[in-house]
Amino acid sequence: MKYVDEYRSAELARGLASEIAGLVTPGETWRVMEVCGGHTHAIYRHGLEDLLPPEVELVHGPGCPVCVIPMGRVDDAISLAEEPGVTLTTFGDMMRVPGGRGSLLEAKARGADVRMVYSPLDALALAATLPDRRVVFFAIGFETTAPATAVTLLRARAQATPNFAVFCNHVTIEPPLRAILETPGLQIDAFIGPGHVSTVIGTDAYRFIPEEYGRPVAVSAFEPVDLLQSITMLLRQRAEGRCEVENQYTRVVRPEGNARALAAMDETMELRDDFEWRGLGTIPRSAMRVRPAFAAWDAEALYTIPGVRIEDPKACRCGEVLTGQIKPWECGVFGTACTPERPLGTCMVSSEGACAAYYAYGRQRRPAEEPVGA
Amino acid sequence: MTGLAPDRCITCSDEAVEAEVVAVHGSEAIVRVAGTDERVAVDLVPEAAPGDVLLCHAGIALERVTGFSRSPGLPALEAP
Repeated sequence: MKYVDEYRSAELARGLASEIAGLVTPGETWRVMEVCGGHTHAIYRHGLEDLLPPEVELVHGPGCPVCVIPMGRVDDAISLAEEPGVTLTTFGDMMRVPGGRGSLLEAKARGADVRMVYSPLDALALAATLPDRRVVFFAIGFETTAPATAVTLLRARAQATPNFAVFCNHVTIEPPLRAILETPGLQIDAFIGPGHVSTVIGTDAYRFIPEEYGRPVAVSAFEPVDLLQSITMLLRQRAEGRCEVENQYTRVVRPEGNARALAAMDETMELRDDFEWRGLGTIPRSAMRVRPAFAAWDAEALYTIPGVRIEDPKACRCGEVLTGQIKPWECGVFGTACTPERPLGTCMVSSEGACAAYYAYGRQRRPAEEPVGA
Repeated sequence: MTGLAPDRCITCSDEAVEAEVVAVHGSEAIVRVAGTDERVAVDLVPEAAPGDVLLCHAGIALERVTGFSRSPGLPALEAP
């Protein structure tokens, strides 16, 4: 595939790894957070950590959209699925996330009509085939996914579809980044910015990171050469005394983002006063809801949502994994009580989750004296 | 779109894939990814034309891929 295969060149990757090794200060650890779960997945799938010198430590961020959804929102979705006449649709991974009352998959086993879709547009098309039911799309995701929901809402209005609605749980990337940057004792030296979110919001959206918090950013694509280039760019900034937002993903990402996508989101959605994040707590103005003008397609206007708040299982340390405070293997239930087959926490559910990536690619190292499951 | 490159996943929602446009019909395009033809909405990239490579996610095209990335001081890539 053009624009993909070229960025998997082993020769280029080795050259960049060599340059990175020459840019670090021997013995001085430099912590780089990759914000996006897609980057975490790519780093381990391609074994990039093994190409880096020990001075570069990769820290996994909160950018997996499944991982940041709290258990209470899953229960809210289950309540919707149990409403008479409702067919609940969502992305595949969301069906496996455990809430306080089990997962959506388990609700389906109990008789609820829950279906997996690849796109909110598929849910809208489904509504046309089920005129006696209301198809509700359980929408999650950052600004990458929100435009698809926005386009779907615009089409629902244009088609005057009466039996479709969105349960909107879209979140925005800036507030969790600020939450991490304001964490006392923060030990992140630089950020690899999310590539696909930036396609929509643009690189200018991250200028607050160097300007207010003094950390450099490189917005990155997802292939191994892309990621190694981004790390090289960040280390060069340090070597040259610069601190700014740079764009490695210039083949897709523009400084201003995609104006049409931003306009579609603005027309259909508005910021909520606050939203609960897994691991980060309640963050003001960090998520979106459907605008009143689209109330006819807003599940929160059409149904009573319980709005339950459920504490995460005490043994699960997803919150600390999401904020880069611990590595997945430092969680006591990693790989034992919590596995991809039977996940306790969201980070093990999604293939973009740091725990799932560590598990899938054998990154289960822990000190020899610490027994597994301790 | 349902056709995924072997190592990609969009069901967890923030992954996106590059796909080549085969044909455009109004606000829909037929794109080819991993050898499979799929349909995506091009409402946000209305200038899409056959031969373009689009970044697609959750059934819609987010942006056109406009060439190889150009990063100052880093090796430029070209098509083989």
